[in-house]
Formats: sequence, C-alpha cells, structure tokens
Amino acid sequence: MARFEFPEWTESFKKWVLLLAAGAPVYLLALWAYGLRPEAIRIGYQPKQPVPYSHALHVGELGLDCRYCHTTVERAAHAAVPPAQFCMNCHATIRTDSAALQPVRDSFASGAPIKWNRVHDLPDYVFFNHSAHVTRGVGCEECHGRIDLMEQVYQHAPLTMEWCLNCHRDPAPHLRPRELVTVMGYDPPGDRRELGRRLADNNKIAPPTNCSTCHR
Amino acid sequence: MPSLDPKNKTRDESAPNESVRNESVRNESASGSGTATHWRSLSDLVAQAEAAADGTGDGGGDAAVDAYLEQRIPDHDELFGDPLSRRRFMQIMGASVALSGAAGLTGCRWEEDHIIPESQRPEDYVPGVPKKYATSMSLGGAGYGLLVTAYDGRPIKVDGNPDHPNTGRGSTSFVQASLLELYDPDRSRVVERRRGRKPLPANWSDFDDAAVAWTQQHSATKGQGLRVLSEATTSPTILALRDELLRLYPQARWHEYEPLSRDNERAGTRIAFGRALRVQLQLAEARIIAAFDADLFGDHPDCLRLARDFATGRDPDENPTGMNRLYAVESGYSVTGGSADHRLPLRSELIKPFLMALEAKLQGGSPPPASKALADAKLQKFLSALAGDLIQNRGRSVIAVGPTQPPEVHALVARLNGLLGNSDTVVYTAEPDPDRPHHNDDIVQLASDMRKGAVDTLLILGGNPAYDAPADLDFAGALDQVDNSIHLSVYSDETSQACNWHVPRAHYLEAWGDTRTHDGTVTIAQPIVEPIFGGRSAIDVLKQFVGRGEEPAEHLVRAQILGAMGVTDPRPSEGEGAQEAHSRADTAWRRALHDGFAPRTAFATEKPQVQPFTLAPLTPTQGEARLKNGSLEVVFTVNTSTYDGRFANNAWLQEVPDFLTKMTWDNAALISPRTAADLGVKHEQMLEITLDGRALKVVAYVMPGQAPFSIALAVGQGRRRAGRVGGLVEEGIVPVGFDAYRLRSSKAPMVASGGNVRGLRDKYRLSLTVDHYNMDKIGQDGIAQRIPDLVREATLEDYKKPGYDINEEAHSEDIAILSNPTKADRANRSLFKEPRYDGYKWGMTTDLSKCTGCNACIIACQAENNIPVVGKEQVWRNREMHWLRIDRYFQGDPDDPRIAHQPVLCQQCENAPCEQVCPVGATLHSEEGLNDMAYNRCVGTRYCLNNCPYRVRRFNFLRWDWYKEMDEPRAQVRKLLFNPDVTVRSRGVMEKCTFCVQRIQNAKIQAKNNRVPIEDGVITTACQDACPTGAIVFGDLNDRRSRVAALHARPRAYAMLAELNARPRNVFLARIRNPHPELG
Repeated sequence: MARFEFPEWTESFKKWVLLLAAGAPVYLLALWAYGLRPEAIRIGYQPKQPVPYSHALHVGELGLDCRYCHTTVERAAHAAVPPAQFCMNCHATIRTDSAALQPVRDSFASGAPIKWNRVHDLPDYVFFNHSAHVTRGVGCEECHGRIDLMEQVYQHAPLTMEWCLNCHRDPAPHLRPRELVTVMGYDPPGDRRELGRRLADNNKIAPPTNCSTCHR
Repeated sequence: MPSLDPKNKTRDESAPNESVRNESVRNESASGSGTATHWRSLSDLVAQAEAAADGTGDGGGDAAVDAYLEQRIPDHDELFGDPLSRRRFMQIMGASVALSGAAGLTGCRWEEDHIIPESQRPEDYVPGVPKKYATSMSLGGAGYGLLVTAYDGRPIKVDGNPDHPNTGRGSTSFVQASLLELYDPDRSRVVERRRGRKPLPANWSDFDDAAVAWTQQHSATKGQGLRVLSEATTSPTILALRDELLRLYPQARWHEYEPLSRDNERAGTRIAFGRALRVQLQLAEARIIAAFDADLFGDHPDCLRLARDFATGRDPDENPTGMNRLYAVESGYSVTGGSADHRLPLRSELIKPFLMALEAKLQGGSPPPASKALADAKLQKFLSALAGDLIQNRGRSVIAVGPTQPPEVHALVARLNGLLGNSDTVVYTAEPDPDRPHHNDDIVQLASDMRKGAVDTLLILGGNPAYDAPADLDFAGALDQVDNSIHLSVYSDETSQACNWHVPRAHYLEAWGDTRTHDGTVTIAQPIVEPIFGGRSAIDVLKQFVGRGEEPAEHLVRAQILGAMGVTDPRPSEGEGAQEAHSRADTAWRRALHDGFAPRTAFATEKPQVQPFTLAPLTPTQGEARLKNGSLEVVFTVNTSTYDGRFANNAWLQEVPDFLTKMTWDNAALISPRTAADLGVKHEQMLEITLDGRALKVVAYVMPGQAPFSIALAVGQGRRRAGRVGGLVEEGIVPVGFDAYRLRSSKAPMVASGGNVRGLRDKYRLSLTVDHYNMDKIGQDGIAQRIPDLVREATLEDYKKPGYDINEEAHSEDIAILSNPTKADRANRSLFKEPRYDGYKWGMTTDLSKCTGCNACIIACQAENNIPVVGKEQVWRNREMHWLRIDRYFQGDPDDPRIAHQPVLCQQCENAPCEQVCPVGATLHSEEGLNDMAYNRCVGTRYCLNNCPYRVRRFNFLRWDWYKEMDEPRAQVRKLLFNPDVTVRSRGVMEKCTFCVQRIQNAKIQAKNNRVPIEDGVITTACQDACPTGAIVFGDLNDRRSRVAALHARPRAYAMLAELNARPRNVFLARIRNPHPELG
C-alpha cells in the first residue's frame, strides 16, 4: 500500500493546522466552562416583559421609592410584584391613551393578571426572605443593582450560593442604615466597611450560615 | 412487570408447625425465662424463641429465621413501575447537559418562570404569608372546631382550634387527612344523570329544572313519596331546613343513617331514664376509669376532650394527689386498651354478664356467676380489683361503654354509675333530637318503603348507603324501585351509580355550614376556598326544595348562629333602631366567625335519676366460656384508616399504619392466637367467614390481645367505586382490602353471633410496618434485650420513691449520666471540644404516659412536610416515608399482652452519627442544635440512614406515584396541596424530621423583624399541634421558663440509646403505670 503524502502546498500552513488542532479543543472547552459559569449565564439576564415598564423612568426620574410598589418587602419573604391596581393609581389619569399601557388597563378592568417574566429566579429548594434582609439594612441595590438606571430590568448579581455566602460571612461592606435601604447610588463618606461593622454591632446583625437558613 | 394483585402471591411455607411453637413460646415468655420481655409481633416472638431454643449464636442453618429474613430483605431487581434506573438517568442527563452547552450560552439557563400577581390585591393580603381561618368539620355527626392554614387563598393544613371550648388544640387522624380529600383528582366534577346504569350528559341547570319539577309535584301531593336520607348531622342549619321541609311537605319523611351508629347509647338512656340523653364523661375528675368495649380516645365523638382530660390525670408530676387508673375490658385491642393500666380481653357479648357480676359485687353480694365464662380465675381477680377500686373511689369514677354494646348494657352502665354516685364524673345532656328513630331502624324502614314503591323522590345527602347499609336490605336493589333518586356526594361512588342523579358535593372546606361538637357548642364552618369542582353543599341543595334557592347559604348559617347566641338580626332598612341592632348583630357574627364558634351554646347538663328496669335473660352463647366454630362472635369495628369507608380514597389514611396491627392498605379479620390455633388458621392466611348465610373471603391476622372466640372485622374497605386509590373496579383498579359490610345484617349490625371460619389454601401478603429494620439474629436478640431500655416504664409506686431516677437502671454510671440530659450537659465528659449553644437551643420531649397512639401526629407531619405516599407494595419493601413512626411492642402472654409504645422521630442528635458519614456534607449541624438537611446536596449514598441508630431517616427510592400523576392534566389539582415553605423532594434524596424548621425560621425572622424575643409556645411543630393530649412539647431549652426545659429536668426524662453518646435533643418521659396492687 502506498503511503499517503500531503501535497506540497500544505507545507506553508502545517504549523497553523497543528496549532488549531491542539488549541481548538482547549479553546472550546474553556469557552464552554467559562460560558456556563453563573457569572456568565445569570448576570445580564434580561427577559422581555409584557409591559415595557421602565424603572429608570419611574424610580430614577420620577423618584418613586421601591416600597411604593413592592409593598410587602419589609414584612414578608416575597417582594411582591405590584398588581395592576397600583399602576392605575396614577395611570387612571396619566397617559390614558398609551398603547404600551393597554395590558395594564385590560388587566385592571377584567381581573386577569399580567404574566411577568421573572428576572431574579432562585431554585425551588432555596427559601429567600426579603424582610430579613431589608429590615437589617441590606440595600436593594446590593443584590439588584442600579435599578434606577435600568430601562428594562436585568439581573445584576449572580445570586449563587457562593455569592450569598460571601456576604453572610462578611456583611459589613454591604450594610447601611435601615432608613436608607432604598437609596440608589449609596456612597457614604468614610470607610464603608467600618461603618458597616459598627451597624452590625449596634443592631446585633450576625447572619447565619447553617443550611436551614435557606434550605428547608 | 410483576403482578400487582397481592392475592396472587404465594409464599413458601417453610416454617414448621406453628401451633406447637406458639405453645412453647407462650410458656417461655409467661415464665420470664430471662430472654427478652418485649416483642414486636408474633413472628418476632417465634424468632426469639427459636434463637433461644437453638442455642447457636448466628443465623446460619436456622431455616425459619432464614425464611424470615428472606421475607424482610426482598430482592431489589424489580424497581416497581419505574423503567428508568439511576445509571441510565445519569447517562441521559449527561447528554442533555452537553447538548445544551454546545447549543448556546443563553440557552443554558433553566426554564423561564413567571410572576403572576393579582389584578387587584385585596386589603390585608400579603402574597406568601399564610392566614388562618376557623372552621369546622363533621364526622358521623360529631363536630370538630378547626383552624385551617391557607396560603394565597388555598388551604394547606388543618389543625384543631385551640380556642374552641370543647375540642381544643388537638385533632384526629381523620381531621388531618381530610385536606387530601379536597384536592383529590378523583372527586366528582360533573352532574351525572342515569337511566338504568348508563350515564347521560347533564349539568347543574338540568338539575335545577328537575328540582323545580319535583317541588311542584310534591307540593301537590303534600310531600307524599318525598324522602330525604341524610347522614348523621347536628348542624342547626340543616335541621332547621329539615323542619321547614317537613312543614311544607307534611307527608314527607326525613331519614337519618350512619353505618357506625352510636344510637345504642340513646336507646340505653331511654331505658334508664325514660328519655334520650347524651352521656358526657368528665375524665378530669375521675380517679378510676373503666371502659367496656369503649374506645374513648380513638373512636368517640368527644375523643379529643376525653384524651386531654385523661392525660391531665395521667401526669405523675403534676398530680400530687394521685394519678388516675384506667381499666379496659374489650374484645379488640384499641388505643384505649393500649393506654390502660389493666386490660381484660373479653368478647363483646360477655360484657353484659361481667357488668352484672360487677353490679352484684358493688352491691355487696357475691352470687355465683351467671355465666360459666366468668369462672376464669384471672377474670375474677380482675373483677374484684375493679370492684374494690370503684367502691373505694365512689363519686370519682367513670364507667364507660361503647357503641357496639346493646342498649340495655348502656342502661346497666347508667345504673352502675348511679350506684357509685358518679354524678359529677358522668353527667348527661338532653339529646337535641330525641324523637329521631334509631339509625338502624330508620334505614330498615326506608328500604322497606322503597321496595313497596312508596318512595317517588329520594334525596340522599352524603353517605353511601348502597355500600354500607346492612347487606340484607340490598339498598342498591331497592333504589331501582325509586322513580327519582338523587345522590349528593363528594365522589361518584357506589350509591351514585345506583341513583338517577348524582350531584357533586362541595367539600366542607368549600362551603358554609355549621355543626355542634359533642357538648353542644355550635361551631361554624366557613369556606376557605371556592368550590374547586363546582360542587354544592347539602344546605345548598336542601334550600332549593324549600323555596330558598336564591338565598345564599351564608345567610342561612348566619341566621342560625345569631339565633343560637340569642342576638336578633333585623334588616337595616327597618328604621333607625334597626340599623344599630343590625350592626350589633354584624359584630356578633364577625366575632363568632373569627373565633369559629358561638360562645356559651353548650347543652345544659343534668343529673337525672335512674328508673328501675330489668335486663333480658342471657343468650345461650353468653353462658359459654368456649365457642365452637359456627357460633363465633363477629364484631364489626370502625376502620382506623377509612372510618366507615368514606376515606377509602384517602392515600394518607390508607398508608398510615394502624396503631395496634401496624397494617397499611388493608383490613383483616383479627383473631386471637389461641383461637387461631384452635381453628387451625395462620397469620396471613385467607379465610372464608360465613355469617347468617352470607360469606366473605378475608385475610386472617393473628392479633395478640384479641379476645378469644371473637373476630374483629373492620368495615370500610373493599370498595368497588372509591377512586384510583381505594378501588375502582370499572377501570381495573383492585379494591383495597375486604368489604366487611357484606356480612352485616340489620339484625346484628355491631356484634353478631354464629360466625363460621373456614381456612382457605391461599395466602395474602399484608404490608405491615412492624418488624422493619430487623437484621440478623444477634441483632434481633440485642434489640429485644434493649427494648426495655428504649421504652422505659415504671410503676407509680416506684416513681414516688424519693430520689428516683429513671436512669438508675442503666448498666454503668457513664450511661446513667449520658442518659440524663441535664446531667450530661454538666458532666461534659467529651474528649472533643463541644460546641456551645448560647442562642436558641431547640429541644423536644415526648411523654410516653400521655401518648395514646392515635396517629394524628403522623398525618399532620405528612401534611406539613409534603411527604409522599408510596403505596402498598413499597410499604412491604420497608420504604414507607413517614418521618414519624410509633413503635409498638407487646409484653407478656400473647393472648393477653400489655403494650408499650413510643413515637420516634429524628432525635436531632448533638453528636449525630448521620452527619459524620455523609460524603457530600448534605446533612450538617446548625448553631441551634438542629440537624439540617440540604436536599440538593444529597447524592443518595444512604450511609446516613445506615448509621442512624434510631432509624429515622427516609430515602426517596422512587419518584412516588403522585409525581407520575402530576403529568396528567386532571391531577394538576394535587399541586395545590403542597406546603410552599417546604421543599418537595424527588427521587434519590434523603429526608427526615426537621423539627418543622420552616416554622422555626419563619418565627425567628418575624421576631427579629419586629425586634421581639420568641416566647415559649409561639413555635410549635406540626406533631405538637395535632396531639390532643399534649404529649409532644417543643421549645427552646435555653429559655429557663420554657415548658420543654422544665420537662427535660424531670426525673422520668431519659434519652434513647444514650450510651452511643449521640446526645439527642428529643427526650422521652417514661411511661408511669398505675397498677392495682393486687393485679401487679
């Protein structure tokens, strides 16, 4: 049997081919591994919503406090997405002809709810409680980012267990006085960590790290 | 696929002649030969005896034990119903992950979730925060005051209402499981109309039109031919509608039937006092309680209050003047017998001569016994001890008798109570409906009228008479003679199939109603959710017939409640004064609705005088000590799983093991060991029982403690049209258990004589949860010897000795110290650096003196923690999922044993053996002492289960049936049942009791949000809430004022298996018995 010989003209790029053959699997593997990291998959997740509600407009420009709509955040586990009723508090008289608001008006009139797409989703075996965090002085923007700058909400933090534990093990840099939790762009003078440490001491904030804190 | 029909399975008969073996075993255990004193079942006892007889140290070569082990560790090759093995699952998952990785990075996210808020949120509604509503349930006419937890508008847990003056905080297993019925996909959803047996399409408006036609027809005839058959009800609204119906249609008749009727008591009081009265037992005042065939804590409309009162008199520490003493004389073993200090197995028909002899003793005479059956020496000793105790405690004793005894025995007991001057402990209240005929007479009359053609329209409100009416009446056949029969029921069942119309009934959680608890307190039932399947309540249907179809049921109930409270309710339009009166009425109504009951509406108590009466002479069999085959006694008992059959489709109830027999998914004919030996019948052998010309094939269960010559048959199984769980013959689903109603005749619906037993060749495999986790012979011996250490008891006399410490009997000082929880803390003899628990330190105590074995805690746990049901086959393979089990041990003579029992749940060991062996860290210890379980980390090694000495861990071997069902659209309703605060576990994950950590965490978060400390009693576990006697107490051990800390320090507190140094947080309070000095 004759031995196969590569033609001459392949000589020039032989080393490139070898490099490609060696490097491509490594590259693809790295792409896959890095691509599947929570930081890659989760941060930036921005699903399309049935109503193009703009937090940048309502919170950023108009100055609505988070708790105006998410009324239960200090009392309950869920920071409930508001019913159409809350929107109609203003929009019964403002922008009554806007086509973008038609789903809201329809919902209010008929009683059929609006089906929002959840942005910040945790697995079913995790039980997160908003009130435990908000009442201790963890700001909304710590986990949700600068909502007041988002035209359409995207996920700002990976919300992985590792990420949560990093704060639970060292809450000081993420704490602020309780009355300032809804402030966006919080930047206190002085050392943030020192301020947080003092807040933790005064308010007896000692976040637990046992499993049953979140897994029940 | 193996055959699912258990009746087809046969088993090798490798054990030699068992009757001989039983004899030697009985002799041995009676003489106390130094082997173990406790045994879990007869096969356990046999194995122990063989071990002792053999003398060999190991299991090798002993054929009987090998066969026994072979049965307990079946081969695992067949994964029942699940073709997908774990390895294949991993292969498929691996491939799909790779695919999703290559396909695109944003496509790697899991599936989209939605947030669907309301369009308009009601005031005070916070999504995800539970609300509790008071309501009530009725079972056989007995009312229960309930508190239902609702999440986002759907009920997910039912508990007792702590504020209710009668039933209080506890609940029964039926109350706990009633929630499953609400979300049962097998519930009827459509109106059915039948010509012959063929169903035709119909809807509610067809029914409404037909109802109009019937009312017109019967107005013309003044109600001639109109009959209503209702189940037992104490509802003031329904009774008021009944009265209105009978006024509008004077010729109509209202019948009431309950298959497990308690009417013998009213008939008895009619004999004793000249009028129908209801007996109200005051056990808290009683020192001596004697129960004759009376299951006071298991099958009594007042069982919650009776259990509570009994338990208060049972605590040796909180009763310095003395504990009460309970005697039980009964034919079958009941939970009351299990709690008794002294029990005498005696067949039901002999209770009358026994009571006659007791009366003679109380009156000072000592005539020769009227029956030869009483000539037994042991019985005479029991009788004189009981008589002595009663005489010594005149006025502070209670003699109670059960519903299966004939009316004259009830009258005799009333006379005895009168003789003893028990006017404070046994009081009477007037029966609210004294002229109503006896249930049995009523159904006989109705069936006869139906056959004569005298019934044109028959409205059946609830119940299932085609299934449970006495078999000689052939109610289903009689229904053919009725022109229009309408059945209102939750399921389309046997009776619905035989009727012309079936209309779906709203569950009690979906409808307005009311009921009266046993003491008469009017209790309100309010709907928690709109009828999921569009059903209507009995009130809704009845009001159509009296022309009140447009009035909402709520108004009718409100009128009755206000009337019961004596508050007038004028219409607001009637002028100024009326406005005020209306708002006062409104406030009263809202208050009653909030509390769940109308206050001060209990019946007035009376203390009437007994009038003279004579007893009928004894029957021939009542004079015999021994009965021959062909004249055996057959007792029809309540079924602890299905009550009278109505809960046959309730998987929780079917799977909870009966306290005494530990049987699941079945019923059996219970026969005493001696009688079984006489008849040549073995355990798990099929029998044919013939009674009065009717025959039934049923499996035999040889039950220690069953009275000789008496066979106990629980009714309520073998249903042909219950649903996919209980049996649906038309779709090929084999009925669970055996239909004992087929043997019942109207002449002897409770206790029948003349039974004949014929053994058949077939065997029937029962799924018992007893004898699980039983390993080799050495292990068996060790376990048996250790049981007195696990379930500790003492007599009151010993307990009262100064310096008594339950841990003294331990074999070494170290163990004594480790056993005692407070001493163990102080000794701190560990080599390791022990963690300090300075914050919350969760602990629990379980009081063995108070636990009656009612099983309410098991079902409460199942409801609270989303525990799946595994089915009969998997229970047989030791895979039941209940986080809480009640171990039951017998002691002594197999024909007359005592019972020791112990509820066991995860002991939350500080030094947990399970935590030390988990390779992935799925189970870790929290700072408050809880053993946490992270389900998502578990890979299914099951080493933790292996290492747990208490065997409290449960593994999800398969995706259990309810998961597979969820894929069906009609079963989606089951999803509403889950508690949203607890993870729903899938296959391959370990789980165990968590001390209701979801409740603990929620309480902690709330408390910290509001900056208040958690008070003792705010956090209660589900089992604690369900327990009517308060046997389970949970709390913070670091809180010096908490009840649990006080109980941990009691002298009778001990930790189980303390010598392993697991340091459990759950401590048992030893059972203290109060035996009569002569009986020992």
